Amino acid sequence: MTIDGLIEELKEIFELEDVELTEATNLKDLEEYDSLSVLSIIAMIDENFGKRLSSKDLQSITTVKSLMELIGMDSFE
Amino acid sequence: MNSKIKKIEYYLPENILTNIQLEKEFAGWSAKKIETKTGIKERHIVKDNETAFDLGFEAAKKGLANYDKEKIDFVLFCTQSTEYYLPSSACILQDKLGLRTDIGAFDYNLGCSGFIYGLAMAKSFIQSGIANNILLITSETYTKHIHAKDKSNRTIFGDGAAATIIEESEQNGIFDFSLGTNGSGYKNLIVPNGGLRKRYDYNAQEIDDGSGSIRTANNLYMNGPEIFNFTIDVVPKVVSNVLEKNNTTLDEIDYVIFHQANKYIIEYLRKKIKIAKDKFYINMLHTGNTVSATIPIALRDCLDDKIIKEDDKILIVGFGVGYSWGGTIIEI
Repeated sequence: MTIDGLIEELKEIFELEDVELTEATNLKDLEEYDSLSVLSIIAMIDENFGKRLSSKDLQSITTVKSLMELIGMDSFE
Repeated sequence: MNSKIKKIEYYLPENILTNIQLEKEFAGWSAKKIETKTGIKERHIVKDNETAFDLGFEAAKKGLANYDKEKIDFVLFCTQSTEYYLPSSACILQDKLGLRTDIGAFDYNLGCSGFIYGLAMAKSFIQSGIANNILLITSETYTKHIHAKDKSNRTIFGDGAAATIIEESEQNGIFDFSLGTNGSGYKNLIVPNGGLRKRYDYNAQEIDDGSGSIRTANNLYMNGPEIFNFTIDVVPKVVSNVLEKNNTTLDEIDYVIFHQANKYIIEYLRKKIKIAKDKFYINMLHTGNTVSATIPIALRDCLDDKIIKEDDKILIVGFGVGYSWGGTIIEI
């Protein structure tokens, strides 16, 4: 998956149609960040990267960049 | 001796909590979003003076209607919202339902896997000659344990009870089981206080989970991400174990009913396991997640709506609190 692909997936999860989402965006500041979107992140990462995020991993996430680092930068095309 | 499910009935409390009500209570929570993501529109909630015992009693009365209750020779009652520490609710139910006294009865404490374990016990009791006609009641009121400000759990869980009668039968209607347990995850779905390890704390501090839900240690706590991870790990394996144990394949299964946890989770599991959409049940629109009652409620509704019919092979899987899980194949 490309970084743009990840950002598109996240925009879909957080229902951000016209709002910009960058590597610097703090996911936890988004209005749509809640227990349901967290499940969607787990599913999306499992499906696309075969990687499982623990609740500790999720707690540590701040920006999109921090999520990318958690997934592993070498996982991106 | 073989066994078969003879009857299934369920009962839901009268009070209803709608998504619109939740939207009004919790800023930023959208009724439409809840329905799209969780598949839940409303859930039935017990009143203050109503318990899992009461729901179970009502469900059992429905189950025993037009049934010779003198035949019942065992009562199994599954709940995690027990009436008393002691005695067993099943004993009180024997009397209240007017059942024979020369029968066995006990409670067992399981959640989302409870119906599967109940069937496993019923099957083995019948097989071993301990009983012939078993009344299995799975009743749950998680809302009793949930904090009023716990947005996430109030959204997911509803109360309800089911009564299932399992009878000795010439035809085999309950196939082999795959059961599992992993207690290392026990803290991820728990009511920490109120038992004897940690007593109910009248001065318990409120805990904010950072995503809009508040609880105390007296309340139900669910670590959603960890529970989801657990289901992703375990459910595909249970499905393949059950199929293997019964020498069959998904293609030969007519219909699949998972514990109705929430739509998002079970739809994800369906895709991961590659179960065809047209033979997979998702319906918790009017009930929410009723824990040990979801599978029998789904079975009753599927029979009423003619989604399943006699002699269909139905794969059922329960998974959750404990962690505890199990699956089997049934024919009704």
